[in-house]
This record gives sequence, C-alpha cells and structure tokens, in this order.
Amino acid sequence: MDSKKIEELLEKYWNCETSLEEEKQLRDYFQARDVPQHLKEPAALFRYFESQKNRSLQDRAFDSEVTRNITTGKTRRLLYNTMRIAAGVAVLIIAGWFVRKEIHKTDTTMVAVDTYDDPKQAFEETKKALLMISSSFGKAEEQAKKINLFNEAQQEIKPKTQKVEGV
Amino acid sequence: MNLEAFQNRVMPVKNKLFRFALRFLGNEDEAKDVVQEVLIKVWNGRDQMDEVQNWEAWCMRITKNLSLDRIRSLNRRQTQPIESGLEVRQHDLTPHETTEQKESMQSINDLIATLPEKQRQIIHLRDIEGYSYTEICEILELDMNQVKVNLFRARTAVREKLIKINAYGL
Repeated sequence: MDSKKIEELLEKYWNCETSLEEEKQLRDYFQARDVPQHLKEPAALFRYFESQKNRSLQDRAFDSEVTRNITTGKTRRLLYNTMRIAAGVAVLIIAGWFVRKEIHKTDTTMVAVDTYDDPKQAFEETKKALLMISSSFGKAEEQAKKINLFNEAQQEIKPKTQKVEGV
Repeated sequence: MNLEAFQNRVMPVKNKLFRFALRFLGNEDEAKDVVQEVLIKVWNGRDQMDEVQNWEAWCMRITKNLSLDRIRSLNRRQTQPIESGLEVRQHDLTPHETTEQKESMQSINDLIATLPEKQRQIIHLRDIEGYSYTEICEILELDMNQVKVNLFRARTAVREKLIKINAYGL
C-alpha cells in the first residue's frame, strides 16, 4: 500500500470514518515497515495501540486462584443456605415448645379454679374472702381520711394566699 | 455452564478485562483484583449468560462498573502511569532507537491518560481492543451518538497533542 493511500485512510481515521478493517490495515502498515518522516507521529500512535493489545495478565497462579475462589464460594454458599434453613427450623421448634408450654399452663390453672365440690364450703370461703377485703377497705378509708385533712387545710390556705398576692 | 466450559469460554477473555481495568485503575494489582471479582461474578451469574446476547460485552461492562466502584472507594484517579508493557516488538533497532521508541510510547501513554474518562475508555475499546461501535455502546451503556462524539473528540485531542509533541518535544 502506498503512502498516498495511507494518508487518505489516516484522514478518514481522524474523522472517525474508518471501519474496523481499515483501522487494522493502518495498524498493520505502521507495524511492518519504515514509514516516511511525515507519518512518524501516527506511526508511534498505532504502534502504541499494537503494543497495548499484547499486554496480558502475567500471573500463572491467577487461573487456579479464580477456580479455587469459585469452588470454595460454592461450598460456602451451600453451608450458608443450610445454616439458614437450620436456623429457621430451630426458631419454629422453640416457638412450638413455648406455645405448647403456654397451653399446658392455662389447662392447669383452669383445674385449680374449681377447688370446692361442696357449695356450703364454697360459700363460707367466699364470705371469708369478702370479709377480708372489706376489712382492708376499712383500713384504707382511715388512711384516706388523714389525706383528706391535708386537702381541707390546703383549701383553706389557698384563698388566703391569693388575697395576699392580690395585695 | 460447568467449570470446564467456564475455563474454556470465559477465562480466555481475562486479558481483555485486565487491560480495560488497567486503563481505569493504572495499577496492575488493583486491575488483577477487579478481573478476579468479575470472573467470580460471571460464574455466579452463569445462569443468565445464555440470555445475554453478547456475553463478552457483558463481562466488559461488569469490569467497567467494578473498576469505577473501586476508583470511588479508593477515592482517587489514575495517578500511576502504566510504565511496563510499552516494549515494541520491532526488529533491527539500535539501542538508541529502542530508547527513542520507548520514550514515544510513554508520551503517548501519558497523553491518553490525560483524556477525560469517557474518551479514554472509548479510544481503548476501539483502537486497542477493536470493538465495533455497537459493542462499545453496549459495554459503556451509551448511545451511538455519544460514542461517536467522544471518539471524535478523543482522536482530535490525540492528534493535536501528537503534533505538539513533535513540534516542541513536549
């Protein structure tokens, strides 16, 4: 290919009108031979592209490292999933156990409520319980009266202090 | 896809992914880490691979995204120049010519590194990896117009800078 043709191609290249095939022609041209002085700069550019294209990952251990990561990642994921399922099952079992325990407890209290078979005895017991409550109320009333005293005193003091403030 | 198919089909593109990640990160170790992450991602998403039309472009897109993530997390731009890998395989060169070649490679490398990110990516994908415009659109998730405009700007900038280097030896 003569340099005239190359110059035309280059002009097309700078205007982004070249096809991939034409760009390859340019790379090949500049790679292969000595170029005229006026084409030195594009030559350097195309040689740079070509040299970059040949760069590779220089690491022999890379492939095996990736393979190892892939396979361990697989087992780790499997383990993770199993753990998740196991945790779910454990939660269900514990919850079930608590629910069962709760149901069992209410059953026993229901039984404990019905203590007396004889109605007379039951009446006596009830009376006893009510008496106990009423005596407690009586005590409480006495204490409440004391508090009332304070309230009354406060009521009496209030208007006086208001008058003082008013003055 | 089983492990064997993965090794035969996907692993061979690792160098392309590496070069692309390197263009973003400018550091071989970081680029290698990204490629490894990409390959693991591809393996984990291998079920979708049959649905993807162009899986190589898909791998390149993952590389781009992970590289950008890494740049963001490292919060830095490409600061280290890509120094190695600039040897030109040309025969019959005197030591002086070889040094001269290496210097011009380095200056081109530097001038491409100064391009805005998008232009740098596009010129890499087109002129080094030889992707079609459609593929570049797919990799960079851009429309055709943006790709062409950015490539035009990148090439114009490179051309102007090359002339400057030649004229003033900058």
